[in-house]
This record gives sequence, structure tokens and C-alpha cells, in this order.
Amino acid sequence: MEVVDIRPMLAPGVSFACAAMVFLFGRNTNWRRFWMLSAATIKMIVVLSMLPGSLRGVVYTFDLVDFTGGIGLGFRADALGMFFALVSSSLWVATTVYAIGYMRDDEKRVRFFGFFALCVSTTVGIAFAENLLTFFLFYEMLTICTYPLVIHYETPEALSAGRTYLTYTLIGGAFVLVGTVMVHDATGTLSLGHPGILDASISPGRLGVIFALLIAGFATKTALMPLHGWLPRAMVAPTPVSALLHAVAVVKAGAFGIVRTVYNVFGIELLDDLGFALPLAALAAVTIIVASVIAIFQEDLKRRLAYSTISQISYIVLAASMLTPFAATAAIVHFANQALAKITMFFVAGAIQRTTGKTNVHELAGIGHQMPWTMGAFTIAALSFIGIPLFAGFITKWYISLGALESGQWWFLLVMITSSLLNAAYFLPIVHLAFFKPARGDAVPVKEARPTLLIPTLVCAAWVLLLGTMSEVPGMPFSLAEAAVRFVFRM
Amino acid sequence: MYAWPHWLALVVMTPLAGAALTPIAALLDRRSPPWWALATMTFTSLAATMLVLRVFAEGPFSYLPGGWAAPYGVELRFDEFSAVVGVICLIGWMAILFSSRYTRSLPEFASDRSPYYYALLLLNLGGMIGFAVTGDLFNLFVFLEILSLSGYALVAVGGERIAEMAAFKYLLMGAVSSVLVLFAIGFLYGMTGTLNIADVTARLGALEGPTAPAAVALALLAVGFVTKAAIFPLHVWLPDAHAAAPSPVSAVLSGLVVKLGVIGMIRTYRIYYGAGLFDLTVLNHVLMWLGAISIVMGAFFAIFQEDVKLMLAYSTISNIGYIIMGLGLATTYGVIGASVHIFNHALIKATLFLAVGAIIYRTGYRTLSDLRGVGRAMPLTSVALSIGAISIVGIPPTAGFLCKWYITLGAFEANQPLFGFVLVFGALLIFVYYIRMVNAFYFREPIHAEVTEAREVPVSMLLPTLVLASLCLIMGVLGRIPLTFIEPGVVRLLAPLGG
Repeated sequence: MEVVDIRPMLAPGVSFACAAMVFLFGRNTNWRRFWMLSAATIKMIVVLSMLPGSLRGVVYTFDLVDFTGGIGLGFRADALGMFFALVSSSLWVATTVYAIGYMRDDEKRVRFFGFFALCVSTTVGIAFAENLLTFFLFYEMLTICTYPLVIHYETPEALSAGRTYLTYTLIGGAFVLVGTVMVHDATGTLSLGHPGILDASISPGRLGVIFALLIAGFATKTALMPLHGWLPRAMVAPTPVSALLHAVAVVKAGAFGIVRTVYNVFGIELLDDLGFALPLAALAAVTIIVASVIAIFQEDLKRRLAYSTISQISYIVLAASMLTPFAATAAIVHFANQALAKITMFFVAGAIQRTTGKTNVHELAGIGHQMPWTMGAFTIAALSFIGIPLFAGFITKWYISLGALESGQWWFLLVMITSSLLNAAYFLPIVHLAFFKPARGDAVPVKEARPTLLIPTLVCAAWVLLLGTMSEVPGMPFSLAEAAVRFVFRM
Repeated sequence: MYAWPHWLALVVMTPLAGAALTPIAALLDRRSPPWWALATMTFTSLAATMLVLRVFAEGPFSYLPGGWAAPYGVELRFDEFSAVVGVICLIGWMAILFSSRYTRSLPEFASDRSPYYYALLLLNLGGMIGFAVTGDLFNLFVFLEILSLSGYALVAVGGERIAEMAAFKYLLMGAVSSVLVLFAIGFLYGMTGTLNIADVTARLGALEGPTAPAAVALALLAVGFVTKAAIFPLHVWLPDAHAAAPSPVSAVLSGLVVKLGVIGMIRTYRIYYGAGLFDLTVLNHVLMWLGAISIVMGAFFAIFQEDVKLMLAYSTISNIGYIIMGLGLATTYGVIGASVHIFNHALIKATLFLAVGAIIYRTGYRTLSDLRGVGRAMPLTSVALSIGAISIVGIPPTAGFLCKWYITLGAFEANQPLFGFVLVFGALLIFVYYIRMVNAFYFREPIHAEVTEAREVPVSMLLPTLVLASLCLIMGVLGRIPLTFIEPGVVRLLAPLGG
């Protein structure tokens, strides 16, 4: 059932207005904080208010402009979009609190928070985009808005990382645009409201070009190998930005684009007939393994997390390209599972850096005694990534494995197992160092990060546990993912 | 009211007569020329509105001065493409209003020069309007000369030494291209014995004997008009001329004058498609490639410019590339996109040049690094500039989007996906240098005190800038209107192709 409702547009609109207020009146710290926090809360409420409807199968739509025949800007909150919007808007609240604490003494706070709000606005815009054009518009805006965040410190290293980032993502965006035009040329529509708009009447060669363009374009942001070069370099950004890039917005936007391409542009049946999905799945599998191996050798904590992101985000791509209902469930819930666990880790990395100044893995010996709560949160996230039951990551791996059996491709199971082992290999040493190795030099008393850093970290860690233990409870995001899967597979 | 036939004569005669009378008006009151010119253009705009309404309601129509029938009399013909007079009037009006203050306070406009400036501007606008509505080849040439000659003078009127050199370069290239067009018209007259465009088309179609002279004429017309349109590699006159001219003149030159070269190409196509004498695939391919090269080279040069006005000038070359490529694609989508881009790019480029003109007027600087931080000092002008920048890149929902989308669709429709790629990656390059500009204006620390202390320009300069900027947005949201308006004209143009 479709209902015309302004809320899908209101959700990005709120953070857009917030950004405007921050740019205009952001010099005053209290007002800026007020705008940031109230906008984050209002937006989460707007998105949450659509949740009951979404669970019942209601789709909220709002057409903003219709330029001419099938080209327009519109918003549409279907189950898949709701899931992504829910993840990003709830994490925005946490990240805002954290960023306020982290960036407390920074000189360019106004610019930082303004673009920060814009990023989230565009992310929700991506989630609620009714058609590929709207999607593309927000997708490009996201690129632009994250650039000032990446170069925030304006060191030569940051500027060069920013250039790399722009080069990758803008060229990727151009691929997406060409693909979008070709979709319009082939079908006369760009709507994302169907389980597939392309059909078999179009020549396979053309479909192949469209698939390659869209996937290559989105994969640059997803950091699918070999298009991942920008992501580790973008680690020069402030930690809340890294959290935003890795967990909430940028890589997720790319992954969401791939999911939309697979489910809403091509559709399950067509892709299954064409057989394009298998190479994509193979690429994702390679990325998962190779990025994990590289991560083991990273000494810098944030860089290790970056390679871990490259590996983890490919789970979504892998699951989406298996084209089975179970795997699709895994692809969608992994948006939340990966986001929460990864944001926890980045929060921890930032908290350690702000409190103790340490950024290297080998410096972390004994830090678990100094910051027990923070490192406890890290441990939860690490166990989730490894895929221990009761943690969120287990759900993903379980469903991907089910999907692998469903599609009869057992080698995906091997990928899952190897990946779990590799995750353990690069996360558990950190936990081990932190809790079971004595600190160098004098014993340090317990000194946790300041509350604005600690509380968001703990909330996210708790949410990881909640996602892992209570996913079957009605109203949890898992049921939303199931609703999305039912739509995609016409069940 | 729009049915009154004489509007078509008035729309041409008013600015030309107004131009002739401007010096006399200046004799009566030294401060009157801008207001006189404004009044002239107001009346011309009224006539243009009537004409556009009529062509929308009735389709193309003709006017026969003195009642002489077509082959003998000099026909004026108004079709969908002639509707460009609407935008000529709009931008002309805005440029004159902008100039009224600009000319008064700049030293190079000693007050004794000001009447000539307005006379030349009116002459230029009248020439363009005449060029767009004439149905006669020789008149086409006459109006081409009027608008070109006044254009050369307008570039030089700025008075700096670089302006004289630029005007001279413009004059050389312009004169050669005019001569080529004149030769071509001579060939066509020799072959058909008529100068009326519709008649030439019919008689060329029925031509017996060698067709080589017609092919030569086509080549001459194409080279001539493409030079006027500043397509790479015949663009060399454009950047200096457009950057050296006073900013309102740059708006007219860059937004409008180069477009008349494109209108000339459309007229040429009308003759040759209509005559069906030969297959134009080769010419179309040449134009597609030239368009593609212009897009890339224009954008490429623009990226390395420090001078804001030079950057805008190179961006014009890119955008004309889009239009010429759209024409060369010869599919409905492509030509519709190209035709609408004639109109939209005029709006956008005028916005940009007026906004930049206002900034240069206040600060006295014109390079990106000197103008750092100007966005905070002149917020309204900078917003207009940013709207122009996102429009010209073609980001929805602004005016630049739909036409580029249509041209890209046209490329796929014509089965030329390569050009679709060029279009999109060209837009990417354009995006890069406009981002540089916006970045410098908003996010860099100012290095000059003049920039931080700059105030907004007076209303007579701010108003045209803001009106044009909001039109960039409005024409984006209402993009359907120009598309549906131009469609019958494009369908008629391409009808002989059987598509």
C-alpha cells in the first residue's frame, strides 16, 4: 500500500535545515549544540514514526518535482530504505554526541558540523530516493559534503587524501550517471519502486554494460577491491568522520547503491538468468579475504579498522549477489550489524587517542586496565565481527551461510569461515594486548575517556548485543529486513 | 493581442532605431542613454513576448514587409528556434540595467563614451534579433555583420590594452568567418536564383546538374558558423575577447552572441535537411567530434585558469560543445536538448558573468586566490554565483540539468554511447573547476582587506544578477516548458530524415 506522506522528504530536510542553521548561526557553541542535537533527535523521531507503518507494509512516497516523462525528484520510504535510514539516523544521534565531545577545542568546528549534518541529510536522501536520479543527486552531494570533512586538518597529507578521495568517488559517480542515463534510455523510467525495472527484452550486451557501470560506480564508494585505494588514506580525517565514512554514510551509500541495483534495477530473476551476479560475488569474496589479510599487518589502529571495513562491507555485496532470500536478509541486516560494531570500534579508537594519545596497536598493552569500559566495548564489537553467537555479527554470518546452502554454492561457506578466522587474527591480539599484557612503565590508574566520548561508545556496544540476542523480537530492525526481502522476492 | 502581425517587424526595428537615436538622446540629457536603452529594450521585450506567445499558439508564421510575396520580398519568419529573441531581450535588458551603474563609475567609461556603449549594445541586440527572425539569406548576412561589428567594438570599449588586442583578434576571426558565410550565400544564390531560405530549400531539392557547389556552400556555412560559435579549434578568439570585455558585455557575448552561430547552423541544417540533396552523416559526425573535443578541451583549459572571467569564457567553449554535439547527434532527444541548452546556457552564463562582474566591481580583483573569502563579504552575489555554478554543471533541479540529460539520452538514442560518456565526464571536469571557485570564495581565508570589506553592489546591479539566478532555478523546475515548446520545431527540422 502506498501513501503520500511528506515524512520521507522531511527526514533529509531536517538535517539539511540543521546544516543551514549551523552555517548561519554556528559561531555560538551552545546554539550549535542545540541545533545539532535537536535536529538529530527530530530526525530519528521522524524516521521512527514511519516504522510501524513500514512494518505493516505501508510505503510512504512523496514526489517533489516531475521534470518530464519519468525524470524527476521523489522520495519513497520502502522497507529497504527505512532500514538504511533507521541505521543512519539513529547512529547520527550517537555520532553527534561523540563529535561534540571529540571536536570540543577544534578551530573549524562550524564548518565541520555544518558538513557533518549535510552528510547525514544526504545519506537519508539516498535511503529514501524514489528513483535513480534522486539517488544519484544525493550520492554526489555526499561525495562533496564529505570532502571538507576528510581534509579537515588541512595538512598536506589530508589534502592529498582528499584529492584521492574526490578522484575515486567523482569518477565512480560519473559511471553511475552514465548507467542511469542508459537505464532511462532502455526503459523510460528510473523508478526504484519495483522489484526490477529492466527486463529480458533488452539485449544482454547492453544489460551487461549497465550492470558494469552501475556496479563499478557504486563499488568505488563501497571500497570493493581493487577500487578501495581511497579508504585507508582517508583515515587522516578526525575520528568521528572516519566513523561516519566507515559505518554510517559513505561506504554504506555505495553498498546501498549495489543493493538497489541488484534488487530494484535488475531484479532477482533477471540477474539470475543473466548470471552477472557470480563474478560480483567472487570479487566480493576476494575482497573479504585479501582485505582481512592486509588488516593483520596494519600497525596503526585506524588503518587496521579501515581494512577491516573494506572486508566487512563486502559481506553486503557478497550476500546481495547470492540472490537468495536468506542471503538477502543477511545483506540488509548487515547494514545495521556492521555499522554498529564498526562505529563502536572507531569510537574506541578516537577515545583512546583523545585520552592517551596512542594510535598504534602495540602501544595498547595494558590499556584495558586503564580504560576498562572502553575496551570492553571494543571486545564486544570484535566478538561480533568474528561472528560469535549472541553478537550481531553472528546473525549476518548465519544467514549468509544459509543463503550459500540455499544457492548450492558451498564455497561461500569456506569464505565465511576463513573470514571469521582472519577477523579473530586481527582483532583478538588487540583485546589480548589490552587486557592481558602489562602496561609499559608505571601502572596507570583507571582513567576513562570523558563522558561525551564514553557514553555513545557504550550505547553502540549495547546495541550490538541487543541486535544479536533479540533480533526476533517484533519491532526490531530484523523484521523490517524481512519485509524488504518479501518485497524483493515477491513473496 | 499577439495576433497583430507587425510585432515581428517591430521586434527587429525597435532596437536598431533605438541604437541610432541613443546619441541624440545623449545630446538632450547626458545621463539619459541607459534609461533610453532600457525603455527601448522594454518595448522590444513586449514585442518578443507577443511573438513567443503566438508561435506557441499557432506555430511558425511569416511577415512580409510591404506586402511583397515571399520570393521577391524580404521575408521575416518566426519559428520555435526564433524564440531565442525572448532570451536575447531578457538578458539584454538585464545587462543594460547592470551597466547603468557600472558605466557611470568606471574610469574607462568617461561619460562621453557612454552613449556609444549603449548604442552599440542596442545595435548588437538588434542584430541578434534580426538574425534569429530573418527568412532571407542575405539579410542573415547583414544581421550577422551588424552583430559581429558591434561585438568587436563592445569588446574594445573596455579600454584596456588587452581589450584592444582581444577585439582585434576577435575582428580577424570574425571577419574571415563572415566572408565564408557570404561566399556560401553567393554560391546558393548562384545555384538557385533566390535568397529566401524556404525557396532556396525547395529549389536545391529540385536541383539538376552538379551538386558540388552546394556541398562547398555547406562546408563554408558550417565553418563560418562554427567559428562564430567558437568551437575548438576555432575558438582562439573567444577567451580573451570575453574576458577583456566589460562584464555585462561578457554576459551578452558569452550568453548570446556565440549562440547565434548555433542558430546559423540550425538554419543551415534546415536548408540542407529540407533539400535532401545529400546525406549529412559526415557533417554530423564532424560536429559530434568537434563538440566532444570542445567539451573536453574547454573544460581542460578552464581548470587551469586563475582568472575567473577567463574560466567562465573557457566554460562557454565547453557548453557550446554540448550544443553542437547535440545538433550533430541528429536525434530528437539530442536536438531538443541542444536547442533548450541554447536558451538555458544563456541564462546561466549571464548569471555567472553578472555575478563575477559585481564581485570584480566591488573588490577590483579577478583571480581565484585574490578573491578568497568573498562569499562572506558579498553573500547574495555569491549565492547567485553558486546557483549559476551548479546550474552549469547540470545538477538537478537547476536549468542546466534537463538539457544535458536530453543530449546524453540523444547520444544513446543515436547509438553513440561513446559520446554519452564524453558528455558525462565533461560535466565532471566542469564540476571540478566550479568546485574550485566555490571553494575559494567560501572556504578559504581572505588574503586582501578589500575583499573582506567589500559590500554588496547597488540594487541596479544586484537585481539583474538575482533575477537571472532565480530563473536558473525556476527553469530547472519548470524544465518541461521549454522542452515541449521546442519539440514541434525539432520534429519539423528532423522530419526529412524520416525519423
